[in-house]
Amino acid sequence: MPKGILAGVEFEIDEDGFIQEPEKWSEAVAEDLAKDESSITPMPPDQWRLVNYIRDYYLQFGVAPPVRMLCKKNDFDLKYVYEMFPKGPAAGACKVAGLPKPTGCV
Amino acid sequence: MSKKKTKVADISKPSEQMATLDLKDLMPLPYPLTEDGLKPMKSLTEDQKCRYECSLDGVCGVGMLKPESKEEEERMVKAFLEGLKKLLSKENNWTFLQPLLLSLKYCAKCQTCNDACPVYVGSGKQEVYRPTYRSEVLRKIVHKYIDGEGIFDRLTGDDFELNWTALARLIESAYRCTLCRRCAQTCPMGVDNGLISHEIRKLFSQELGIAAPELHEKGSVQQLKVGSSTGMNPAALADIIEFMEEEIEEKTGKKIKIPVDKKGADILLIHNAGEYLAWPENPAAFAIIFDAAGINYTLSSDLVSYDAVNYGLWYDDFQLARVVLKHAQTAKELGVKKIMVGECGHAHKAMIVISDRVLTGEMNVPRESCFPLLEEIVFSGKLKLDPQKNNFPVTLHDPCNMVRLMGIVEPQRRILRELCPQFREMTPHGVDNYCCGGGSGFAIMQGMNFPDWKMAISGRMKVKQVVDAFQDEISPDIKKLLSAPCSNCKGQIRDLFRYYELGPKCGIGYTGAVEFIVNAMVDIKQPYLDLDELTA
Repeated sequence: MPKGILAGVEFEIDEDGFIQEPEKWSEAVAEDLAKDESSITPMPPDQWRLVNYIRDYYLQFGVAPPVRMLCKKNDFDLKYVYEMFPKGPAAGACKVAGLPKPTGCV
Repeated sequence: MSKKKTKVADISKPSEQMATLDLKDLMPLPYPLTEDGLKPMKSLTEDQKCRYECSLDGVCGVGMLKPESKEEEERMVKAFLEGLKKLLSKENNWTFLQPLLLSLKYCAKCQTCNDACPVYVGSGKQEVYRPTYRSEVLRKIVHKYIDGEGIFDRLTGDDFELNWTALARLIESAYRCTLCRRCAQTCPMGVDNGLISHEIRKLFSQELGIAAPELHEKGSVQQLKVGSSTGMNPAALADIIEFMEEEIEEKTGKKIKIPVDKKGADILLIHNAGEYLAWPENPAAFAIIFDAAGINYTLSSDLVSYDAVNYGLWYDDFQLARVVLKHAQTAKELGVKKIMVGECGHAHKAMIVISDRVLTGEMNVPRESCFPLLEEIVFSGKLKLDPQKNNFPVTLHDPCNMVRLMGIVEPQRRILRELCPQFREMTPHGVDNYCCGGGSGFAIMQGMNFPDWKMAISGRMKVKQVVDAFQDEISPDIKKLLSAPCSNCKGQIRDLFRYYELGPKCGIGYTGAVEFIVNAMVDIKQPYLDLDELTA
């Protein structure tokens, strides 16, 4: 697995840029990941709200929340989520939130 | 256009890349995608090329690291040949030996199957994607190293020494076939090249520990360990079911308690867990319909049994059997009369068909597709339905496993013909359908440049078919939907629609099948299908 430095910390990162050690994530790491994923950096409050929501859900349930739930609970429509993270909720926002790449038929 | 002729023996000759994909060669796409069909595909980085095996076509699907030494290469070749002997023996291949032997023996090399293959045709007829190409490679290996029938190959010079280069390309090439089995359907001899791809994948997984990571470590291994290939644990399932109940109440005004682990229910309904995460409106629609029709069913929250998927079907018989046993065991514990599979094509095949080889005696619980029951409900009069609520253009995608393999052709069509006044078929359809291009796990394989390949090549034929089906009303102002009753197909179709911008350019969106039933229900005032959102 290739290694990379994010916010001064060495990480194992997969070929598509997802960090493999979610426990080492920090806000500074998120900002570093956001350079490739967020439409604006440093991330404005809405981006952070989404990232924190995904991360909290992941820590509780071991998986990213359903896209529909994520939109509804934060009062964002999907189009806006794509505007914030052009690669979408899974490949963009989840990556910044320090989740591993989504798996299964999602 | 002068293309170098590719010979079977070329597979063992080291070169950076055996086949080069030229965008100009790809099958042309209809209006308005004439230009979009030529988006450049991502190349691997130089560093990735050094580390990963990608010398078939410059695409990396399996994500296999290069062996570190000559000795390791030799060890792998030896292990492959040992595995091949097992693949051809009754004791070690109790699942698919007979069709494999017949397929290896009876190919008449007429090449009738070539034009049936959406990958081969979509690619502009790349030789390495020809459905008979990888079969011919395997056949030659068997003749030379196993049954001693290779004299003819030696005489014609189309004979090769098995080396690691050949094997690395062979396994990648087995992941360029979606196992749609359209080739087998058209073969006058009944040779099944899709099965040969499957058996190659199986040999590599069972004997060499090589499989696409999305199917194995993050797929079936994760399902058996955590409960679902999505990583969703039982607490997440409970949370999402609660969310679905809220959504149902908000959208339909109905207060429905979705039954979970209900002992003595008639039916254990198992969805692909991807539905809960990516398309919760699908299992929610099942809940609304079954509630309204008074069906006595339950979901399960048991590890493995809340996820219908069985990725072992695509690459490993052991993993397949482990998951099948768990599903059957849950049904036994709940005391249900049967298991019903939701809108998931490969789960239909794994749970209903192939598991017959695994489940014996009292474990052989009755198992069936959701579609006959849904059809019965729609035509029973139990639900008040108004087709005018679905009065927009609709077409249907046929998941290969349900339709070509199992012959479940009419129930879903009778429902849509009844409930969608502007329903039209795509060409071809039914058992002659084309794969979405995401079959056999491609929909979930997302590593490196594989997504570009499946968008540009394996999904090309499906995009053409969908756009052709709506060609008379292609303006983006006319909103229209594709019904795709399979989670894996939906994942691929979602990615294809985004890649080719079918929403903004053509006004085409997608959903499953049950959503059309709920959308037609008279007592639900708000539309269940939000056309603007679905075609955005």
